Amino acid sequence: MVHYKLIYFNLRGRGELARLVLHHQEVAFEDFRFEREEWPKYKAGTPFGQVPVLEVDGKPLAQSNAIARYLARQHGLAGQNEWEQSQADMYVDCIYDLISGTRPIIYETDKEKQKEILQKFLKETVNPHLEKLEQQLIKNGTGFLVGKSITWADLAYYSFFSPMTERFGDSVIDNSPHLKKLVEHVANIPQIKKYVETRPKTTL
Amino acid sequence: MVFPSRPVKLLRESLKMPGYKLYYFDVRGRGELCRLILHCAGVPFEDFRDIDYFKDWPTIKTRMPFGQVPVLEVDGVKMLAQSMTIARYLARRHGLAGQNDWEQSQADMYCDCVYDLHNATVDATWEEDPVKQKDLFNKVNQDTIQPHLEKVEQHLVKNGSGHLVGQGLTWADIAYYAYFTTPIMTRLGGEVLTKAPHLKKLIETVGNNPNIQKYVETRPVTSG
Repeated sequence: MVHYKLIYFNLRGRGELARLVLHHQEVAFEDFRFEREEWPKYKAGTPFGQVPVLEVDGKPLAQSNAIARYLARQHGLAGQNEWEQSQADMYVDCIYDLISGTRPIIYETDKEKQKEILQKFLKETVNPHLEKLEQQLIKNGTGFLVGKSITWADLAYYSFFSPMTERFGDSVIDNSPHLKKLVEHVANIPQIKKYVETRPKTTL
Repeated sequence: MVFPSRPVKLLRESLKMPGYKLYYFDVRGRGELCRLILHCAGVPFEDFRDIDYFKDWPTIKTRMPFGQVPVLEVDGVKMLAQSMTIARYLARRHGLAGQNDWEQSQADMYCDCVYDLHNATVDATWEEDPVKQKDLFNKVNQDTIQPHLEKVEQHLVKNGSGHLVGQGLTWADIAYYAYFTTPIMTRLGGEVLTKAPHLKKLIETVGNNPNIQKYVETRPVTSG
């Protein structure tokens, strides 16, 4: 059996999608977490001075989406054919861009300014995306983003929008009923629910 | 626009090759990797770049899955968005993605690194003040590009084939070629690769690929 070691901060952040894929498929792995202060100890040993890193029988793979895609493909969560796999890739890339867009918000210490940047981000980036996303979900017609069943793309949207609504309120996805339903569906999947209830509580 | 000629159309039909139409602006930007992959693999496609930002884009935008380009339209019916997704799809279909699951993931990893490098250079690219722009490019080079190159050199040496992944050319090599030739070397000069001789050699190798060389010599000359 392959030994997986996922190396990341003790945060959800860019490591959580890989964790969700593994928990959803009930694949055993070593969830190696460290605190920010310990980072200098591990940085030099990573392929590009960054985490997450997945070690597969000791061989390293870097970049959060490359890791999550590899795991999704190895464990049946990537889509049923080549086209579906690419559709899933596309959605996950959209989430990657949204995550990048939240960085200025998360790192802004002035509360008023943070609110301003958040509103701008929601108005100019998130809402237009969600409008298109709702159309895609309706068009696909299964409740899932790709094909007829869950893929890592659905987990990626849950992984991003669940903390967003937790932190900034339900109004973030109020106008996206299909996405809201999908996020709720993922949250209630037994393996996901169990993992979320027992995972370390972290701010990010 | 590049419309396939009749012999190409017939060949495509006989081989049941998909009809590809790549929508992107008349710049290299985020669309160039997709174009390079298709040219490298010798795959015909419609390079739809005649999109006037003010006249055409508002209408075209509404037809795109997420209001953005590049978008790859396949057989006139299916659309795929996101530059790296399109590039990966094309690379996988046309033998440029790696020889097995692990190599494919390694290629994905390197291409994600290039995507991050692109993002790191966005502010510098759009800065209008030339003095400020030079400063921003120098800062990105110092803070982000050089540390990354140090690691890439170690990996190239370790892999030992001259390529980033496995024994042969993958879209990862092409991605580094695309990013470092333009914008990086045009902005910062060849010195940016002084400490990365293996990557420099790889970029030259990619540049010397006959299909890529032919395309680069004849592609539209654009500012970005």
